[in-house]
Amino acid sequence: MSTQRIDPLVQVETTCRALLNELQIIWEEVGETYADRDEMLLELERECVEVYRRKVDQANHSKAHIRQTIADSEAELAAICSAMGERPVHIRQSDQNIGSLKEELRKILSQVEEMKKRKEERRNHFIDVLDQIEMIRNEINGSTESVSSETVVDETETDLSLMRLEELHRQLHELLKEKSNRLKQVQDHLNTLNSLCSVMGMDFKLTATEVHPSLGDSEGSRSISNNTLEQLGTEINKLREVKIQRMERLQDLATTMLELWNLMDTPIEEQQKFQNVTCNVAASEHEITEPNTLSDDFINYVEEEVSRLEDLKSSKMKEIILKKRAELKEISTKTHLIPDTQLEDAIEAIDSGVVDAATILEQIELQIAKVKEEAFSRKEILEKVEKWLAACEEESWLEEYNRDENRYNAGRGTHLTLKRAEKARSLVNKLPGRVEALTSKIMAWEEERGSEFLYDGTPVLSMLEDYANLREEKEQERRRLRDQKRLQGQLIAEQEVLYGAKQSPPKPQSAKKGSKQCTGVPSTKKVALGGPMLQAHKLDSVNSLRISQTRSNKKTEFMLQNDAIPASPAFNRGQDIADAPFRKHPSNGVNTNEIESQLKTIPTNDPSNNTMTPLKTISSVDEENRKPKAMHSTASVQMQTDITPPPTLQTSLVEETHEEMEQSFEEKRLALMHSDKQIPSMIQV
Amino acid sequence: MTSVHPPPVPGRELSNPPTDGISNLRFSNHSDNLLVSSWDKTVRLYDASANVLRGEFMHGGPVLDCCFHDDSSGFSASADNKVRRIMFSHGKEEILGRHDAPVRCIEYSYAAGQVITGSWDKTLKCWDPRGASGQERTLVGTYPQPERVYSLSLVGNRLVVATAGRHVNVYDLRNMSQPEQRRESSLKYQTRCVRCYPNGTGYALSSVEGRVAMEFFDLSEASQAKKYGTFATGGCDGFVNVWDGNNKKRLYQYSKYPTSVAALSFSRDGRLLAVASSYTFEEGDKAHEPDAIFVRSVNEIEVKPKPKYMGSE
Repeated sequence: MSTQRIDPLVQVETTCRALLNELQIIWEEVGETYADRDEMLLELERECVEVYRRKVDQANHSKAHIRQTIADSEAELAAICSAMGERPVHIRQSDQNIGSLKEELRKILSQVEEMKKRKEERRNHFIDVLDQIEMIRNEINGSTESVSSETVVDETETDLSLMRLEELHRQLHELLKEKSNRLKQVQDHLNTLNSLCSVMGMDFKLTATEVHPSLGDSEGSRSISNNTLEQLGTEINKLREVKIQRMERLQDLATTMLELWNLMDTPIEEQQKFQNVTCNVAASEHEITEPNTLSDDFINYVEEEVSRLEDLKSSKMKEIILKKRAELKEISTKTHLIPDTQLEDAIEAIDSGVVDAATILEQIELQIAKVKEEAFSRKEILEKVEKWLAACEEESWLEEYNRDENRYNAGRGTHLTLKRAEKARSLVNKLPGRVEALTSKIMAWEEERGSEFLYDGTPVLSMLEDYANLREEKEQERRRLRDQKRLQGQLIAEQEVLYGAKQSPPKPQSAKKGSKQCTGVPSTKKVALGGPMLQAHKLDSVNSLRISQTRSNKKTEFMLQNDAIPASPAFNRGQDIADAPFRKHPSNGVNTNEIESQLKTIPTNDPSNNTMTPLKTISSVDEENRKPKAMHSTASVQMQTDITPPPTLQTSLVEETHEEMEQSFEEKRLALMHSDKQIPSMIQV
Repeated sequence: MTSVHPPPVPGRELSNPPTDGISNLRFSNHSDNLLVSSWDKTVRLYDASANVLRGEFMHGGPVLDCCFHDDSSGFSASADNKVRRIMFSHGKEEILGRHDAPVRCIEYSYAAGQVITGSWDKTLKCWDPRGASGQERTLVGTYPQPERVYSLSLVGNRLVVATAGRHVNVYDLRNMSQPEQRRESSLKYQTRCVRCYPNGTGYALSSVEGRVAMEFFDLSEASQAKKYGTFATGGCDGFVNVWDGNNKKRLYQYSKYPTSVAALSFSRDGRLLAVASSYTFEEGDKAHEPDAIFVRSVNEIEVKPKPKYMGSE
């Protein structure tokens, strides 16, 4: 439209004119007076002026407003800048600038905007930093309350300068450093704690969490508060103390173990097992770092081992004690001392724990030393005592030997026994002297030692005394018998004178074991009993050989006759007579008769009254003994021969009883059978 | 000595053993016949290998010893003082002679053709069995002994007599007038038994203590090479031991018999050993196991040392 190019003002003007025109028209139509028209037009004009005026005012106002705004903004900008510590940038640039107000306004507003933005940014920075600072401070203080960041910021509203910001940054930086230090500390502490826990076999996580829950978690953030650090420190110290305690305990155990090993020579392999313990025996606390070396279990394990070793030691000690006891016994027995019972009791009491093994060992050692010393001092005398005892044995063997009928028979080993007899005789001769010497030695010893010399509990002096007394008795007996023999010898001589013939001497006198028993008993009794026995023996031809042999083997003390009786050979040769009994027997019967009658009247052995009462008395004897049958033949012989005095009558009884006692099993069995048979018959009766 | 054998068996027990103690048992020289004398007053004849009782002969008292003449007859010594000849085939016995006391031992000497008896009447008597019965004809001689005769043994022409009181007389049968040697037992206790070595060089003597002494007739021989050989002993402990006299060691011990071993006998070839397990009254009258006879085989290992002597009878 071509009309569009017309300026709107023109358009308006046009419109106004049109309107005026129109108005004119209207007035015209209305017929308005020109005065009125003019008034109206004036009014119109005035109104228009008013409108114009109003518009102009408005424009002025707006201009003023803009100016105000600019000023305000400028002020604001200045404020902001000052707050931010910056110089206001552009003041009065409008002077230089030919730009309109609006432009100015625009500029300044944008500047203000910008500054505001910047201020805002800075503020945010501040907030940020302050927040962080606060956070860290909180962490450090351990408090959870947060100071409102707004107030902080408000406080800093006045100062948002870079300087301050930098200052704050610096603070923050320091705080961060502090925090990191603390974290490091905490980590260190935790490491230490960990190490302590592992060494002592404790649960690290548990312990850490006990101090502060956050510490157990390796991932999350950890408390770094003063409290935490303090507690960590305390806990660590506490654990360290425990560690030291345990370490000391373990070292004690290790020391004991080493001592016990040393005492008992424990093999290396066993010791190796506990290498890890003993290597730390002198370690200091910080050197022990291997896990579980101080755990409860481990310490218990070591304790058990030590206790086992101690038991072993005590049992070994007991062994030693028993060995020593045996040793003591041996030494005591060798030297014929009776061991001390007190010590024995103590040893028995070991198990009950009442007495200490070590003390007992000591005591035993002392005792052993004592006994050894005593044995040494007894040695010489002891040897002599044993020699004496051996000599006594030989003496009694010799006695027995001398009573033996067969001792001169050729047989195996006879020459050996002869030699032994020789030696024994010389030994016996030396005995009295030895006994005296021994007695005086013992007396000297006893005086020196102040105690009796005991042999297996018996004082030797009393043994010697008994022996001496016994010998004395024997000696007396011997003398008495010798006297008796002498007297009987006289009797024979007288009888020879009377009857003029000699008798051969066989008398059943093997005084095998009779001597000792005889001496104490009054001779009369024995003789009386022996008489008939004697007779029976003599009458028995079979006995003759033995009789003669024993006769010849008699000891001097039992010989009432002299020894010139060629008994053995004579009788031996007599054996070839098959049926005939001994011719040489003889008078035995007569003799016994004599003796019998003598003894019945005279209570001594003195054969002073000889009477001959032949056959009668002989026959009275035959119930005796086993073999009475040969009597008749002997009786017939007896008249031809002489009387020979009976030899030791006393011993005959004993010998007799001996022979009666020797029986074979078969003889005993037969006797039993016969007695069994008799009993029923007796009962019947 | 430890044995390499499996658990030992005491041997085969003979059936119909005597009803009272067994005093002696002997194997025959010609067969496995076994003659057993007993306190039940009988003499029994067994076939040991067949385990059969072939004959039983009654006596007047306990029979203390017995011996073979040959497989048709034997002799017995009884506590009723009588010496008897027993005719196995005829099944009867007859009196050969008598002593004055129980006859304790009896032997037959092939060398002299005589029966020799020892008695508790302290005599030794020799009898000629070929004569007609009746004491006067058969008695050859009576030889007094120092004491009651407890045991005797023959070898060749030698006779060894052991009596109470530990006397030992050695006779030459060709000259009985006096003993060739008069000895004393070298053991301290009562002589129990005497047995001559089969080789005739000596004899073994045992005592009630349980020891055995080895003696030689000729002392000069004793010092030479010792030929003791092996022998078996039976004791009241119920054991039978086999010994090597040479080395003085025990070779073997058979398992324990129920009661005392009263007698032992090896068979002629040494294959068998008869053991009389019968209480011998060593501890007086007391309750005891029943009397039994065991016959066992003898292994060479049990009895053989370096030199080979199979037991002495």
